[in-house]
Amino acid sequence: MDERAILDHQFTVAAYAATWVIQLGYLVWLGLKWRAQKRSQSSHSHDS
Amino acid sequence: MKKTAIGLYVIVTIALMVWGYYQAIYVAPDEQTMHEVQRIFYYHVPTAMLCFLFFAISLVGSIGYLGCRRGRPDWAQAFDAVALAGAEVGVVYCTVVLITGPLWGRRAWGIWWTWDARLTTTLVLWLIYVSYLLLRRFAAGPQMQTMAAVLGIFGALDVPIVYMSNRWWRTQHPAPVFGGGEDSGIKDPAMLAAFGWNVLAWFAWGVLILALRYHVERQSQKIAAQEAQEALEA
Repeated sequence: MDERAILDHQFTVAAYAATWVIQLGYLVWLGLKWRAQKRSQSSHSHDS
Repeated sequence: MKKTAIGLYVIVTIALMVWGYYQAIYVAPDEQTMHEVQRIFYYHVPTAMLCFLFFAISLVGSIGYLGCRRGRPDWAQAFDAVALAGAEVGVVYCTVVLITGPLWGRRAWGIWWTWDARLTTTLVLWLIYVSYLLLRRFAAGPQMQTMAAVLGIFGALDVPIVYMSNRWWRTQHPAPVFGGGEDSGIKDPAMLAAFGWNVLAWFAWGVLILALRYHVERQSQKIAAQEAQEALEA
């Protein structure tokens, strides 16, 4: 593999990895938000 | 029944994502001039197309909210949740576009960024919807929803400008892949298949996170309404 091909490969991997980090990061954030919401709902129903 | 349908949808979406990745990396041939780095195209272009779709969904939600806020407040809240979900998923997709694009540009053009019409209008679109999300985060009450809906409509006006930018102006950004004249389109069937599978996969993924975001927002609206009711009764 020449240097150009190695760099091309690294940039392609970086683009695919960045895409997945952003999309999965958003999904995790949504999941945490949903879980916190469920917890607050259940504690709210216990209080009332 | 509902849980089974959701589970099936999630499985189909994951399968599509894996298949799309396989097609893009292992099946599609190397492009002759750009070689491997051209494979970024299989994620960059579908996410760019779909970010337009999610901003369009946000536009529908914003118009619906403004149309229903006096007569049908229950519908207005549902439309508002659609607008928020569309804007947020659109921003996620647009962020992917703005990161994968410069990574490709650095190898293809030798520069990370240039202030050409396509890149600049896309950045402006992203900034408008980030400000929409910041408004929703730091302001409160029904006036916030109205202001956000108006901003959402203004933001959506940038979508056709982004789409037409490399048709109206001479740009460094490549010519449109589709709908850009006789020379546009993907000629190689394996490349076209890889592109099509990734459009489908990212569409399925986007619908999944959009539905989840909508559900979370509807729940928080219900909690807020319940708390307001209890405060009134106390």
